[in-house]
Amino acid sequence: MKSTFRFSSVKYLLSACALALSLQPLAQAAETPPAEVHLDYAYYSPVSLVLKHFGFLEKALPQTKVSWVLSQGSNRSLEYLNSGGVDFASSASLAAVLSRANGSPIKSVYVYSRAEWTALLVRKDSPYKTVADLKGKKIAATKGTDPYLFTLRSLQQAGLSKDDVELVHLQHPDGRIALEKGDVDAWAGLDPHMAASQVQAGSRLLYRNTQFNSYGVVSVTETYAKEHPQTIDTVLNAYEQAREWAVKNPEELAKLLASESGLPLAVATLQLSRTDLSSPQLTAKDVLASKAAAPILVSEELVRRGVNVDQVIDQLIDTGVKQTVARQ
Amino acid sequence: MTSKSKNLPLELPTPRRARFSLHNAWRLRLKGLVLPVLIVLLLEFVVRIGWLPSYQMPAPSEIALTLRDLADGALWKHISASLLRVLLGFAIGASLALVFAAWVGLSREAEAYLEPTFAGLRSIPSLAWVPLLLLWLGIDETSKIVLIAIGAFFPVYLNGVAAIRDIDRKLVEVGQMYGFSRRRLVRRILLPAALPGLFTGLRSGMSLAWMFLVAAELIAATKGLGYLLSDGRETSRPDIVLAAIIVLALLGKLSDGLLAGLEKRFLAWRDTFNGQSTED
Amino acid sequence: MTAHLLDIRVERKSFAATTVLKNIHLQLQPRETVSLLGPSGCGKSTLLRIVAGLEKDFQGELRNNAGEVAFVFQEPRLMPWLTVEQNIGFSADNHYDRAWVAQLIEEVGLGGFAQALPKALSGGMAQRVAIARGLYSRPQVLLLDEPFSAVDAFTRMKLQDLLLQLAQRHAIALLLVTHDVDEALYLSDRVLVMDNRPSSIRQQLSVDLPHPRDRRDPQLASLKALSLTELQRAHVI
Repeated sequence: MKSTFRFSSVKYLLSACALALSLQPLAQAAETPPAEVHLDYAYYSPVSLVLKHFGFLEKALPQTKVSWVLSQGSNRSLEYLNSGGVDFASSASLAAVLSRANGSPIKSVYVYSRAEWTALLVRKDSPYKTVADLKGKKIAATKGTDPYLFTLRSLQQAGLSKDDVELVHLQHPDGRIALEKGDVDAWAGLDPHMAASQVQAGSRLLYRNTQFNSYGVVSVTETYAKEHPQTIDTVLNAYEQAREWAVKNPEELAKLLASESGLPLAVATLQLSRTDLSSPQLTAKDVLASKAAAPILVSEELVRRGVNVDQVIDQLIDTGVKQTVARQ
Repeated sequence: MTSKSKNLPLELPTPRRARFSLHNAWRLRLKGLVLPVLIVLLLEFVVRIGWLPSYQMPAPSEIALTLRDLADGALWKHISASLLRVLLGFAIGASLALVFAAWVGLSREAEAYLEPTFAGLRSIPSLAWVPLLLLWLGIDETSKIVLIAIGAFFPVYLNGVAAIRDIDRKLVEVGQMYGFSRRRLVRRILLPAALPGLFTGLRSGMSLAWMFLVAAELIAATKGLGYLLSDGRETSRPDIVLAAIIVLALLGKLSDGLLAGLEKRFLAWRDTFNGQSTED
Repeated sequence: MTAHLLDIRVERKSFAATTVLKNIHLQLQPRETVSLLGPSGCGKSTLLRIVAGLEKDFQGELRNNAGEVAFVFQEPRLMPWLTVEQNIGFSADNHYDRAWVAQLIEEVGLGGFAQALPKALSGGMAQRVAIARGLYSRPQVLLLDEPFSAVDAFTRMKLQDLLLQLAQRHAIALLLVTHDVDEALYLSDRVLVMDNRPSSIRQQLSVDLPHPRDRRDPQLASLKALSLTELQRAHVI
């Protein structure tokens, strides 16, 4: 009884596979536009705001329903990506490495910005002068995001580990409130909230380091990359349109960012002053930069034991998509 | 009026009886394990052959490994942090609830003043308290323990009031006839008579305390099982998420079991159907 | 002339608009057994509760020279979480006189059940415990409200004999409410027949028979006939 059951189910599986494989070349030759495409947008990715505002993608994919999800941080974006809530996720590159290292089958395909978007902040009247002063203190940082990793790297540089401080997990906007209310001693900020805290509350940057900031990437799942390469092209073309507009119209960009995020113009201007939108391609340099930053993931035990992070980065960063973007 | 058919409790040979019921107890436990074991085996199989992607549903063997790794490291720190919060919050919430339940249960005046407010507060869903408490009490232990205490409060209070109202007036009259003072009535008659209902409330409050604990720790914690849960979530570690859930379930079951044991011991006098064949 | 243990005068007792008791005058002598006989709802329980101090709202006067007065309810009303022993000594919290309780347990015929819980007792046994509880405070007067109405006929007879025994041994006066004519006549020195409500004492029957009485005694039978006649006249039956 048992063996016949298994045999018939194996037969079924085999024929299903054969069918799928035979259809594969057809699928690649003429990929029909998808019925829906879901993207995220975030205040830490100004180009995404432009893209959403002008509807470049909606124009490029008239048959497709384009939907947008606001992301409050890399941790959220990657969660949505993993659960199928979005097809394209905007996150910090190091956060994407962490996610991939922990088993999420994702691929980064585009750089939406290179910014100094995170630093360690303290209140304007705070007595702390260096990172070492934060030993034993409370630091608000959103786990799984670049500010969190920035904090770990800064602590490591100052000779501390994450157990030497109390890291409080609060999403970026809540972390800002916690700092300004005095619930925490320091906050790993992220623009625009970081800029807002500086401008509106006078918070001081205790420690900044452009090297410890990772660039921002748009990622998709491996399956999506295999099944919808043309859609990815279309989306990235639309992103390029948005990026070019952003580069050409800095003042309007600032106004757009301010109105979308609900923050004053001065804050938007400050954020954009430390954002570089000029080179969207993933290059070998970026791969190296990620590999240089990755050891913190291992040393702070954020990834499972025995994971080869370099290998992970090679799998994550999709060199194939370089062509698409370079065409622009 | 109950009329018992026996005049003397039957004196049965204890040893044989005890052995028999022990054997039964173990068989009962084994039966209860069949379903969970089946589910675990099924999951292991399904993930191994790839029907479920392991980055969304890790195999049970993987979760076991994660648990072992955690047990080597920070798990005990998280467990003790959570346990402390739950026990403290539960103790505070339950004691306050008992006091109020006694007050409202015994005094129509107090009921008229207090009950509507409590009814309103009770209908506020747990998660709605979180932003308010964070705002007022900050992100430290205080807000978490207060949240847990709120969670534990209402079931204990409700069951307490019902238990007191349910008390047979006839028993209270016995005390009144002896001229018991209010305090003595409460101590000697009302409290023991309300104990069954109170225990129900306590067990219910305990499980809600665990629920509110997780809610409290999901937001702004630095340690604890809820923190571990969110940790796993933020770093794409579903195995940690599931490990935390398993530990939470175990601890919840243990704490409930403790209360159930106490209940059994203190309420052995109850003349209710409990499926047992021995009288003790 | 021995002083009355109890002297109760109720001019009027009402519950809301209904007058239940009217013009009652009752006196109880030491070691006397008096029964209040009447239909259900006639107020005899109310009268008993007034005597016990459980009903305070009435027009009249209660003179209590008895000191300790104990009450036995219709149901045993034992605290289910306490053992037989603890129930008997209930009024003294945990400092009850263990020797006295042990003696009472023997006297009511429950030897060996000191540690039993109420759930293990039959109705008759539970009522014995209730009686023992009543006796704990060494009362001079024991008030009983239809104490045996909830047990079967045979148990009832046994309990009646027990009650008489105890009353004799401890020199207690009994004021008993019952709707059982036979019981009233078997136990009492005086039977007070009560009306329908608003109720007063219609007739007083003296039972001058010595104890122990024989249930088969024809004098009891003729007294019963008298009571029944009176009850009929009162439109009770």
